[in-house]
Amino acid sequence: MSVVARHIVLLAGLLASFTLLFIVAGTPIPVAEWDWIDVASEGGTALLGAIWCLIVLSSRPDGRVTRLLAGGLACIMLGSWADCMDEFIDVEKAALWDNALEMLVPLGMVILTAGMVYWRHEQANLSDHMRKRERLFRSHRPFDRITQLADAAYLREQLRLESRNDGPCALVLFDIDDFHRINREHGQGEGDRALQAVAHMLLLNLRNDDLLCRYAGDRFAVLMPGLNQYEGEDAARHLCRMVGAMRHHAGSRRVTITLRHGCADAHGAPDALLAALCRQMDAV
Amino acid sequence: MIAWQPAAEPAIPARLQPALALEYGRSHDLTDAVLLRETDLPAEPAPDALVSPSQYLQLLANTLRGLDSPDTSFMLGQLMLPGHDGAASHALVQAPNLRALLETLCRFHARLTPLLRPRFETWDGVALLYWVDAYGAPSLRPALVEMHMTALVALCRWLGGERLPWRFCFNRGAPRHVEQHQVHLGADLRFGCQLDAMLVDAAWLDRPWPRASEMAARLALQATDGEPARAPGLTAALYDYLLEHVCASPTLERTAADFGVSPATFKRQLLRHHTHFQGELDQVRTHVALWLFQVRRADNEEVARYLGFHDAANFRRSFKRWTGLTPGPIRAALDGELGWFARLHGATGA
Repeated sequence: MSVVARHIVLLAGLLASFTLLFIVAGTPIPVAEWDWIDVASEGGTALLGAIWCLIVLSSRPDGRVTRLLAGGLACIMLGSWADCMDEFIDVEKAALWDNALEMLVPLGMVILTAGMVYWRHEQANLSDHMRKRERLFRSHRPFDRITQLADAAYLREQLRLESRNDGPCALVLFDIDDFHRINREHGQGEGDRALQAVAHMLLLNLRNDDLLCRYAGDRFAVLMPGLNQYEGEDAARHLCRMVGAMRHHAGSRRVTITLRHGCADAHGAPDALLAALCRQMDAV
Repeated sequence: MIAWQPAAEPAIPARLQPALALEYGRSHDLTDAVLLRETDLPAEPAPDALVSPSQYLQLLANTLRGLDSPDTSFMLGQLMLPGHDGAASHALVQAPNLRALLETLCRFHARLTPLLRPRFETWDGVALLYWVDAYGAPSLRPALVEMHMTALVALCRWLGGERLPWRFCFNRGAPRHVEQHQVHLGADLRFGCQLDAMLVDAAWLDRPWPRASEMAARLALQATDGEPARAPGLTAALYDYLLEHVCASPTLERTAADFGVSPATFKRQLLRHHTHFQGELDQVRTHVALWLFQVRRADNEEVARYLGFHDAANFRRSFKRWTGLTPGPIRAALDGELGWFARLHGATGA
């Protein structure tokens, strides 16, 4: 049974047991006395609470935030359901458990709020992590599947923005030496792992303002605002040294990874700039 | 009679190129339901099962659409050559230099690159390899060209131990994902050309490759003698035929007879390959005209005569219809600074 199906069964089971509880403990109210507006609003809230709960559970990895959000929503769902049951079935007003069940709604809201506070923390951490990968603004775009970096289209967009600024800005391209050999000899899976390792190493050695992209294949691009071409060149050499010092293993075999680079001033038409820099990379 | 293979008939061993595409898709989290949609292929084909070219094309289309990533065709290309086709693949790996490699590839194209047929020409210090559609797949053509060019570039780089200074022209507008071309192929790219071709200075053709062994190469070639030939795809066979007979103004009737079918059947077959006789003929004549302009420095009069036109004016009009341009600007582009071939040739002399 899939995870989603299990969640659906669980929620349906909770709702059904509540219904059963009311049927056993109370006396039915005649249909003529049902308040349809109350039924619709309370039943609707319960139903929507269930849907929200399922959306949260199916779209997020398990963890504290997910459990709090889903738990809060589930409480709201159950509280509203109890309210809704009250419309059909009369329960002794003195029965404390009925009141307690209705208290589930505010309780759920408190849990949900706690979940949202933690969620905010989580987002702040994630944004921090993503900063070097997306820089100035966030747009809906696919990340590169393998390295989780932005792609060439995003780089071009950023270069267009940068060309409007007057300050210095350097653009560096990196190629992995003999990358095709890793793919041939160890398979594309190992090639992908090497790309991830290089991406991590580069990220660790970048400033917060820098932007790292996977241009295509084994070519990475780093945009360095505030650095002129010579400073960019210097930073690039440092990055090459750091990657060269890395010990990467394909299976149990050690694979030496070295980079070559090309650097240019990042002002100008993005396409022409990148084409020229790529030509320069081919000549290296 | 000319041997040819229709797209609907099983011809490609399932364990070769189709298996690579399937494995690539699966390793990137595509489900069999997506990959095999409309292919009629089983998830685990028998070891000796054959796949028809149209099934293989559909499988590639599913993979490309399912992954929706600009690098899919290039990554598939990296996996393609030398391939696992016994003696033919072995002869590729053992090729002592670029010339032998290209000749082997062209000889066994129906096995090694069944979907696109490579044609190798050399003149005046230029080596040209261009790709002809073998089974008529216009919608997949750009991706197939990317895939096959990447396959050859990667193979040469592996065997030669260095990046060859290829130049590329593409029969399409500039794509959005030009970065993939720059990284997987090279920075010398030209879009909006009349053919999908890769060029390199002919001096590279006979330069021995580091691992080359005369004897291994000879043995590998001998081993291919016993290999049964596989017929090329219909549109590749037709291209070859038309190129050979282009001076004699080939007709549908005559061609159908030489292909051993009735004109009506031939027409229907071409339609199934998403093309028609006149379109194929016009394409061949465009390529021949360009070749004459470039290599023989021919004028309109000579080209018109060669292609069997009444006069230069007639040829000029037709050429405009084929390419959207009159011969004048194209010739000027070939001669002038923009000239793709001319520039390469100039670089050789320098």
